[in-house]
Amino acid sequence: MGSVKVKNLVKKYDKATALKGVNLDIKEGEFYALLGPSGCGKTTTMRCIAGFENPTSGEVLIGEKVVNSVPANRRNCGMVFQSYALFPHYNVFENVAYSLTIRDLYNGSFGQRAKTFARLIHKKLGKPSKEIQEKVHDALKYVELDHLADRGVNELSGGQQQRVALARALVMEPSVLLMDEPLSNLDKKLRNTMRTTIRKIQQDLKITTIFVTHDQEEAMSMADHVAVMRDGEIVQMATPTELYSNPKDPFVADFVGSSNIYQGKVVDRKENGDSIVKVNDNTILESTTHTDKEDVEVLVRPEGIEILKNGRMEDHNVLEATVKISTYLGPTIRYDIELAGMEVMVEEEFQPNTTLFKEGDVIKVFLPAERVLLI
Amino acid sequence: MSKGTEQSPKQSRLKNWLLSIDSLKIMKWVVYLFFFLFLVLPLISVFLVSFTGQPVNLLGSLVNPDIMATNIERLSNASLEHYASLLGGGTYFSALQNSLALAIGVSILVIIMCIPLAYAFARTTMPFKKTLAALCTIPLIVPTFISAAGFIIMFGRTGWVNTLYQSLGFDGLLINAYSMTSIVLIQVFFFFPFALWPMVAAFKIADISLEEASNNMGAKNWSTMVFITFPLAIPGIISAALLIFTVSFSDFGTPIILAPDGLNLIVVEAYREISGFFNWAGASILTIVMVAVAAIFFWLQRFITRNMDYGTLSGKPKGTKLNDSKVVTRSLFVYTCIVLVLPMLAIFSVMIQSFATTWGTGLLPRGFTMDHYTTVFTRSGDNIMNSLLLAGGALIISVIVATLVSYFVVRENTSKLDFMSSIPLIVPGIALGIAYIQTFNTAPLQLTGTAFLLIVAYAIRRMPYMIRSTMGTMMAIKSDIEEAAVNLGASKLVAIITVVGPLMLPGIAAGSILVFVTVIKETSITVLMAPSDWAPMSLMVFQNLLRGEVYTASAMAMLIIALVIILQSIANKMTKNSLY
Ligand SMILES: Nc1ncnc2c1ncn2[C@@H]1O[C@H](COP(=O)(O)OP(=O)(O)OP(=O)(O)O)[C@@H](O)[C@H]1O
Ligand SMILES: [Mg+2]
Repeated sequence: MGSVKVKNLVKKYDKATALKGVNLDIKEGEFYALLGPSGCGKTTTMRCIAGFENPTSGEVLIGEKVVNSVPANRRNCGMVFQSYALFPHYNVFENVAYSLTIRDLYNGSFGQRAKTFARLIHKKLGKPSKEIQEKVHDALKYVELDHLADRGVNELSGGQQQRVALARALVMEPSVLLMDEPLSNLDKKLRNTMRTTIRKIQQDLKITTIFVTHDQEEAMSMADHVAVMRDGEIVQMATPTELYSNPKDPFVADFVGSSNIYQGKVVDRKENGDSIVKVNDNTILESTTHTDKEDVEVLVRPEGIEILKNGRMEDHNVLEATVKISTYLGPTIRYDIELAGMEVMVEEEFQPNTTLFKEGDVIKVFLPAERVLLI
Repeated sequence: MSKGTEQSPKQSRLKNWLLSIDSLKIMKWVVYLFFFLFLVLPLISVFLVSFTGQPVNLLGSLVNPDIMATNIERLSNASLEHYASLLGGGTYFSALQNSLALAIGVSILVIIMCIPLAYAFARTTMPFKKTLAALCTIPLIVPTFISAAGFIIMFGRTGWVNTLYQSLGFDGLLINAYSMTSIVLIQVFFFFPFALWPMVAAFKIADISLEEASNNMGAKNWSTMVFITFPLAIPGIISAALLIFTVSFSDFGTPIILAPDGLNLIVVEAYREISGFFNWAGASILTIVMVAVAAIFFWLQRFITRNMDYGTLSGKPKGTKLNDSKVVTRSLFVYTCIVLVLPMLAIFSVMIQSFATTWGTGLLPRGFTMDHYTTVFTRSGDNIMNSLLLAGGALIISVIVATLVSYFVVRENTSKLDFMSSIPLIVPGIALGIAYIQTFNTAPLQLTGTAFLLIVAYAIRRMPYMIRSTMGTMMAIKSDIEEAAVNLGASKLVAIITVVGPLMLPGIAAGSILVFVTVIKETSITVLMAPSDWAPMSLMVFQNLLRGEVYTASAMAMLIIALVIILQSIANKMTKNSLY
């Protein structure tokens, strides 16, 4: 097990610069998510850590040791590929046993190595040691696939293949577990179960894990820490809650949750430091964000918007909105409203006595000051 | 981790050094060295010799200053006089002329003959299409020197066709087996499948929508065929013609057996210069000329096909309306059968002869016997064994080299290797043989006359085909499977052996059989280079034919054909349902 540090990592290809100085600091046992849009350099970062790419400059440290010159096969990073990359000519057991068998191939007397080699060529040419058998079965038990050890990997479902790939990476007791969009090939339901499985195994083994994804929900629900990437750079590193409530810039805000961003100007500051901003020239809002800037971006999360009804009143941050579409979703009702020139979605719990609005209704909404963020 | 502390620093330094050697890089250099030693060097040597007229020992120059001095002196005396004599008329010049005429004539005839065939297979509902297609591949299976033997049985002075001809009241011979005519016939009727299948593809690819448009505008079917379909298929047809040219130009089996004394052909001339007179200068000039001509036509062919993509052409293009007019399909059927008559009769004649007691003048042999087969198995068991061993050796070399080359080309974009490994395509067998004999006949690498050199020659010559086969499967293997192996601790070489190799197996297997088959059929290199104690079956047939032991030659020839058919059908099966 080990920590992972990436210092000023730059990767240039002939025509493109994939990484422009990436820094990561991942503590031992942490579950770290790399989140970002397609093409931002997530895979490249991961491949540099695994040793498949040579960085143009910068350092990769695993367990406090610089590993730039260590070849990929001796970095002891377990990697789960997006395509799983299972070996189609081996069965489940042999797939999972591969790293242990290879380890045997590099150790021991000549005769033993020859035997190991024969076993790699064909399973009929030798039997794996007790130790290997035990370890493989333990790993398979972890992913609940012990009963399928003798199956060919092409006879497994996508989710099962995914778990074989995970077991194969875990069995070598890697210092870091690297996963590149491991769930993107699964359907939604399976993805949710696998999230839990992966998170649980990670917690049990306390294994340092880097998890690449472009799905914010996945990153936020699984990771201890999230690094948001854009164009080969890390934009923000934070815990999921911090990232959500305190995004550093509109890009992050937009990426980690659907939100509405307005241009605004700070026109006044209250005694306690809270800001008064003017949005769209005529709307005045209060925000609990303390800032020195004049021109700001005003971020309103849809979950923060409350519809005022049944005579409820507030003395600030009340806006008028027009209902465009109302959709009944069972336990909730969704309104698409026009709020200060922007289409916003508001969801409300459905209760028997709820007043329902219809298209064209003009309603009043309230934005609590702590839900109005200035960046 | 804990192990490191137990080792003395010296030990661990040694270990680190050993581990830092990239075994894959070493393999790459070995592959380069292989191609350099056995392909580039012989060709360069031959090129130099064509100027000096005397052997040039390039490898020797590297190890021995004396040899270096001699070589430098010889090179300083290099001149163009040998080339001048080539162009100034004389036997070489006429040999080149005759060979060019033969190759051009054969290409034109093949194309004319194949146009109706290709149309029949691509665009009509000709009856028995599948069977006929299978029959149309048979001529390729038969080595040309065996076809030549068949022609002697048919058109020799006492051949049964000529006997039949005379018994019908004609004088003289219908066709003389030992003549340019019969060489042309053999090449046309045995090489046409090389052109047929690319032409079928060309006819399929020609844009159907254009044809339909033409028909909609009221054009008759035949005029659409002549003015639309045919022109669209022209690049494909030209490329097929160029291919036939190269094949005919470098064919050795037919002319060496059938060329009459008065007919000079470049392959025969080169063979005589080297094996009869040890004329270095002459042989090397002819070699260079052969390579140059083949290279030009090969390049032309590539140039024409560069924008063509037959990649996805397996089935019928969408919306093809096959011509099902009875008149058309039936006449095409008859035509196809007629085309197949001559090659089938030739093979059939060899078969009859292999069972004949004696077959002099007469339509049929005196009697039938299995004796020749008994003789072949008792007296020539060694030759059969030699063939298998030589082919096996060539196979092992080409499997290893081709696998590595495909790997480097596909994964590391090593285009230099790609180019180098395709050079053998432009080197006719006889030229490669001459280059080898010249390069390896003195120390430090004195290999001429060894089985090893013969095996290497076979392997090099068939390498492009093997590589084509392995490259295809290599491209289909995603690189992340291999990265997964490396990630799990395997070095690149181990990853290749344990993961990439097994996944390439279908391609390797198909390619191997192809190599094995062609080596067993190979004539030119065998005749030129095979040491007498390693004589393979093909050499046996060849020598028996020259010695007039035609019956055993036929029996052995049938054996070769049987072996080839069996292996080829296994290969076909394998490529169809590949393992994974
Ligand atoms: N081998 C390569 N050669 C040239 N450019 C490359 C190469 N690999 C990646 N790139 C470029 O580097 C950038 C980052 O690629 P990377 O694969 O790391 O993106 P990613 O964040 O993993 O995207 P995705 O979510 O689509 O997988 C991209 O712009 C890509 O085009
Ligand atoms: Mg990626």
